[in-house]
Amino acid sequence: MILLPALFVYLTLNISYIWSGFLFSIVIIMNAFSMDEKVRINTLLNSLPYTRREIVSSKYIEVLIFTLIVVFTIFIGNLIIHRELTIWIDLMFIVCLVMVSASFIFPFSYQFKSQNLFKGSLILFGIYMVLVNTLFRNLNDIIRENVRILLSLQNLKVYLLILFSVIILYVCSWLLSIRIYRKKEF
Amino acid sequence: MENVIEFKHVYKSFGDFQLKDISMTVKKGFITGFIGGNGVGKSTTIKLMMNLLQPDSGSISIFGLDHKAHEKEIKQRIGFVFDENIFYAHLTLAEMKEIIRPCYMKWDDRLFNFYVEKFELPLNKKIKSFSKGMMMKASLSIALSHHAELIIMDEPTSGLDPIFRREFLDILHNIMQDGKKTIFFSTHITTDLDRIADYITFIHNGEHIFTKKSYQIQEEYAIVKGGMELLDRDTEQEFISIRKSNAGFEALTANKARIEDVFGDLVLIEKPTIEELMFYTKKGAK
Repeated sequence: MILLPALFVYLTLNISYIWSGFLFSIVIIMNAFSMDEKVRINTLLNSLPYTRREIVSSKYIEVLIFTLIVVFTIFIGNLIIHRELTIWIDLMFIVCLVMVSASFIFPFSYQFKSQNLFKGSLILFGIYMVLVNTLFRNLNDIIRENVRILLSLQNLKVYLLILFSVIILYVCSWLLSIRIYRKKEF
Repeated sequence: MENVIEFKHVYKSFGDFQLKDISMTVKKGFITGFIGGNGVGKSTTIKLMMNLLQPDSGSISIFGLDHKAHEKEIKQRIGFVFDENIFYAHLTLAEMKEIIRPCYMKWDDRLFNFYVEKFELPLNKKIKSFSKGMMMKASLSIALSHHAELIIMDEPTSGLDPIFRREFLDILHNIMQDGKKTIFFSTHITTDLDRIADYITFIHNGEHIFTKKSYQIQEEYAIVKGGMELLDRDTEQEFISIRKSNAGFEALTANKARIEDVFGDLVLIEKPTIEELMFYTKKGAK
């Protein structure tokens, strides 16, 4: 809950709110996940009258709710601080980014221990740094340019298609996580 | 007499440990003590009951229902106590209760407050600051506050002082008065069982050795003591295992009546404690 005011601070600093929104959502989600990571908590959750399907589904629904809260905060924040209305396409972009990340992160987290996940993400970050410094000097710029192009397309159909694909990906990830968690032993 | 828990030919293996062909029943309205040494499969059996693990083969039914198909319904009626803290350590007991309360349809705040007061538990201190005894009492308060019909406990008294253990057993005794509850708890503190168990289930090396009424054990099993000259290849077969010394032998038999027939007055026959039962069975298995 401390994170939301921190988000406000970030907004005032004029850092791209898409990036902040995305990061904050991911951090909140991973935080919630790591608290439940301990085997003992899984013992509690699975001893309570919930099916494994419900336990996994609650995480996926939680992601959507938290992302919506973050997005709403950004909207209000921008309104109050910068006195501007945030473009809804940008907000949808944040939501989609988060959903795509969660779709990959969750099944991995369920399958592997979170320590390995942390190591995995450090390695990924390392690879990113190497790539930026060697092959794609301007990787950040390329990404920024592509994102800008994407967000300024006026084609509603393309956006809807992307949204639809993200939703399908999310649902597949959901089902996969349920399958992995069902087989887990505590 | 109804069976609350039924295991039929359950097999479970992990690595080099195996539960082999476990078939056992736990009867309604009684306290069943589940005993065995360290690493024999007690916690594994309990986890199988709670669906924390799935059996490789065999069936488990609780309240007469298949434990996988009716998982939610079954768990509504079970109160559980584990030997380690499974609650969020950074929360207080009151906060933990608020999280657990909506899970159960039959949650009763009055019962919870009754037990919290009785066990003198602080509602507003973080659980991580609780002593082991307090954590156990907290788990028990929660387990007892939703009118559970079956209470499953995994080594609930380990790490508790003898005074509180006695009080705890009294509490269990009081809970059983209405005849509708069933308690199943695993332990390797044998004196607890002597005090309170109606049935004793003995597991050793992943195998279910027996489930008997406490008094039956006294009637069928015996410690036999006698001189070394009484032992030969034939008579040694009568015993589960034998401890020999210069002064004579001490052995466990599962058939007291037969030993009385075979040896008569030549040997001393004594009632076995559960500890002796475990010791000689382990020896005999080697």
